[in-house]
Amino acid sequence: MTPELTALALAALLQAVQFALVSVTANLQLGVAKTASPRDRDRLGGPLEAQLNTRNARLFRAMNNHFEALTLFTIAVVVVTLSGQSSPVTAAAGYTYLAARVAYVPAYYFGLSPWRSLIYFVGFAATFVMIVSALI
Amino acid sequence: MLSSELSILLIYGLITAIVLGLKTTGMVATMDMGYLLSSRDEKRTLDGMLGRMDRALNNSVVALTLIAPAILALTLRDQSSSNSILAAQVFLAARVIYVPAYVFGVRGLRTLVWTIGFLATVVLYFAAL
Repeated sequence: MTPELTALALAALLQAVQFALVSVTANLQLGVAKTASPRDRDRLGGPLEAQLNTRNARLFRAMNNHFEALTLFTIAVVVVTLSGQSSPVTAAAGYTYLAARVAYVPAYYFGLSPWRSLIYFVGFAATFVMIVSALI
Repeated sequence: MLSSELSILLIYGLITAIVLGLKTTGMVATMDMGYLLSSRDEKRTLDGMLGRMDRALNNSVVALTLIAPAILALTLRDQSSSNSILAAQVFLAARVIYVPAYVFGVRGLRTLVWTIGFLATVVLYFAAL
């Protein structure tokens, strides 16, 4: 397994952890009666995620942000691997992405500004580097 | 560069990343930096062109998620043909038109190129099968 694929697998695990964090905190705060319902807006009085408290809503947004980042990162990793273009640069980019996405969650949760944005940008730049290095 | 499905997928990924960069630039230009760097606890909606760019980006990510498995499977199974390359090229062209069509509010064209891109995706799935 290439280092990029290892980073991708760990990133998917991270997303499972983020999903579990959102799920547990949301269920504890809102109660199973609401979360297990069909979540009809008219009955709940608005979307479910809008009822989360500040910290729990941040976990929710951090998870959604990672879904978007993972889509691009997955493509970068799979293409680099399939085309046999793994290099020290792409391996470093893969682990940089992973480290940035791990740091992103507490940075969002604790509202660390401007660190959250900076960390996001590091992860995005790492993905960009991988895609470009597979193209050239 | 445009002669293989994988390259087209990479270029489309890059274009999506560039659209994300444009949207972020637009947000930096029009919203206050304090809010953007904060945890955005109060939800603010994007209006006008920036809102359209946001929706175009979300749609592009969905299209990317859908086309990536088809192209990767097709490549892994060595099923590339002139037809599948053409379908990938059509997809890319349609999605490149889609973003400005959305941002500038060109009615009809946006829906047309979205449909073309979607059909090209379906064609690629059949090519991979």
